[in-house]
Amino acid sequence: MTELRHPTIDSPALRPAATVMDLERLGSLHASRLSFVRSLVRQMARQRWQISRVRFDLDAQGYGVAIYRLQTPHGRYHGVIFSQYLDAARRSDRVIADAWDVTFGVVEGDVDEALLEQMARNVPLQEAGRQHPRVLVLSRANRSLRNFAQFVEALSAGAQPDPAWLTRVGYLYRTTAVYGNGKFGIADFMRLRDNPDFRRPFSAQMLAVYLLRHFSIDQVEHIAHCRAPEAAVPLARELSRYLGIGNSTGLGMAPFLINHPQLIQQWVYCRERALALALSQRPEEADRRRLIVLTRRAMTHLAQTLTEDAEQSARNAATVAALPAVIAWLEEMPLEADLWQQLADWSERSLSLEAQELINTLLIELYPALVDPLEDEMGAEESLELTPDMPLVRLRQLIETHFDWALAEDFTMPEARYWFWYRSVEKEEPRLGVRGVEPGADKELALAIAPLVSEAHEALCAFLADNPRALVVDFLIARPRYKAIVRRIQTMAQTPYGEIRANLWHRDMKPMHLLRTKLSFFGASRFDPKSDRWVRITLFQGAPLVEELNAEPHDLAAFDDWSFPLEPAGRQGEGRREVAGGER
Amino acid sequence: MKVSHNELQGLCRKAFLGMGFEEGDAADAADMVAWMQCLDLGGLAALSRGLDYLLAETSDALPSVLYQDGDLAVLDGHGSSVLRSSSLALELGFAKARARGLAVIKIRHCHNRQLIMGYLARLAGRGMNVTAFWRNAHEPLTEQVVGFRANHSVPEIRIYTVADVPEENEPNDGITLVMANHVDLLPAMRSNYRYDLLARHEESDLLACRDRAYLEGIEVDDTLWERLKALATRMLVEATDDSRQGAGAGTHDND
Repeated sequence: MTELRHPTIDSPALRPAATVMDLERLGSLHASRLSFVRSLVRQMARQRWQISRVRFDLDAQGYGVAIYRLQTPHGRYHGVIFSQYLDAARRSDRVIADAWDVTFGVVEGDVDEALLEQMARNVPLQEAGRQHPRVLVLSRANRSLRNFAQFVEALSAGAQPDPAWLTRVGYLYRTTAVYGNGKFGIADFMRLRDNPDFRRPFSAQMLAVYLLRHFSIDQVEHIAHCRAPEAAVPLARELSRYLGIGNSTGLGMAPFLINHPQLIQQWVYCRERALALALSQRPEEADRRRLIVLTRRAMTHLAQTLTEDAEQSARNAATVAALPAVIAWLEEMPLEADLWQQLADWSERSLSLEAQELINTLLIELYPALVDPLEDEMGAEESLELTPDMPLVRLRQLIETHFDWALAEDFTMPEARYWFWYRSVEKEEPRLGVRGVEPGADKELALAIAPLVSEAHEALCAFLADNPRALVVDFLIARPRYKAIVRRIQTMAQTPYGEIRANLWHRDMKPMHLLRTKLSFFGASRFDPKSDRWVRITLFQGAPLVEELNAEPHDLAAFDDWSFPLEPAGRQGEGRREVAGGER
Repeated sequence: MKVSHNELQGLCRKAFLGMGFEEGDAADAADMVAWMQCLDLGGLAALSRGLDYLLAETSDALPSVLYQDGDLAVLDGHGSSVLRSSSLALELGFAKARARGLAVIKIRHCHNRQLIMGYLARLAGRGMNVTAFWRNAHEPLTEQVVGFRANHSVPEIRIYTVADVPEENEPNDGITLVMANHVDLLPAMRSNYRYDLLARHEESDLLACRDRAYLEGIEVDDTLWERLKALATRMLVEATDDSRQGAGAGTHDND
């Protein structure tokens, strides 16, 4: 006889897609323990990955070649980094740039002289080069000039740089693109599908960023040493830890989110399952204390997150201002079995979206044993497939049930069709134009799903009126232009998440929310918008260092506890303990 | 030069969009070319042969159903490339086979027929056994049979010449497909008539080709690649000072 299990243990209720896939909520997400940087660091520690420097041919200014070896239980990889002089006038974060301070690639297997030569000719050219098929990741980065100068200055004088510099800008380098999956001749992701090291989405890209972080420390110490061999000191460990890698990104991320709905479904589904699992746990007193500690740490981290963007500043400030009430709530409430659900309900009623999602991130943090297995489910076999034998009337029902949010928009209103998305002839950079004002609407990218659904719905309703027993394939043979949207609807209606519920044509649509959605899954912190469609973030700030990894840590939980990093005690004198070991 | 599968697929999709394909057709056509090229079956060469023809085609000439009943359909491809015209004809066959167990589809008047194999792979991936048969109007007469087992990603292929050419005037510009839910229909040469086998591709050979393509990259002809790139740029918008603002970047990037 089949045993019936309690539904709240096996399959706790997930939040509805109408809540979760709302663009503003997605744009309020924080990195979590399921974010790709966190998963990678855990995997590296668990499997005892080792990173070593096998070549470091840099001149006194730090220009030259460095190669790092990564040895995993399954394979060997190399990070190959080219550092060159860059005229300040050519330093641009835009995809239309054609030169960078450093360019680099992660290679599967060994790097012999022939491959190194091929890479030296092509990697610095990035998109304009023809990359080798053993290169898994191709990337480039520009220096934070001020931080770089400050760090070299301080270290060469035998002093440590002021940690506040890293609170303002949390890195020495920021990447402006991290390419994977076959771009410009590099290896297809398909090749990594059976690779136990990098089969998770974006894990190879995150490894590339982690190696760059290590290089940035090596390089700045090297330059300082060359400048003052007698006086120079290495960067203090707590500062090295507090050093991340920046990323500067614009609209280029938006097409990915729309063009990979099955992957987005998987990411959001895993996060929501993690949250549902956490909410269904009966908390112990230790869990409550731990959540309070994490909340305090996140509060300080957000208070130390600086941005010139007024809106983001206000959002951070609102979250910071709300968190003492959360702590008070946690301290006062009786330890009941459904305390976490009570907390979620209370926060939904009382707090901003960013604060709500912060609480959710912290709740997920409490249950590694339950949550971490989900990181192996973040990938997806992507294929949008037609079900041609579906009755057309059933397709209409699917649209009206699962895409009601798209049908609710009135696309005859000028504000509902304000923007159009296109690619510029300049390196195919994605851009937004105002319909009817700027040229290019005839070459629009089909990224706005809502109007496509609405149009298809109208056409199929008209077809159904004349052909009430028609199948989907009958409709498509008569109206073939709807093939793409119909198979998307049929495929995505099978899963709860995946479609971002927003009209991407709407005048009030905020592209920043799209960027933050993806970046939060990467594990970004310190969101620093430079406009409504351009943002700088930091990755790996607070993460364990290569030497800590190489030391084969025994306490994996402590090793993994680096979220919401705090400024180390320096001139400002706070946060050292949290950064050094993480509170437990 | 060598390219990746993703790169090939991406450029083809953009080139087809540049040629005026609808979004779904462009994606399907790109998948069909890339699938074939990845298996070393000459997808790009087939595209190259039909490219001028494709550019001259209009989207008005979409296939129409001449006859259909529960498990049979005859469509007129109006002389267009299978890249633009075959997917929905095949989906019609799929729907009929799902309902009736077996379906036969005939597409008349189409060209670039080699390229249809990529879409057949997709149907096979959805659990359908599929066999396609067509003749080429060359001397000597050649026939090609392609068979996919359900849920297999690569087919068995036989290409052979037939010594005794029958006396009839039916143009060899059609393709016949049989789809079956539950039985495979793989090509196996059994004939009382004389034939010469020109090519025999086994599943295992094709899988090895695909693995090699992922490992070493896919060789493409530089001239064709440039031509595809030129077609893809048709969908790019000229840059202006205003449009550069449209990317939303800041005015300076030094920090």
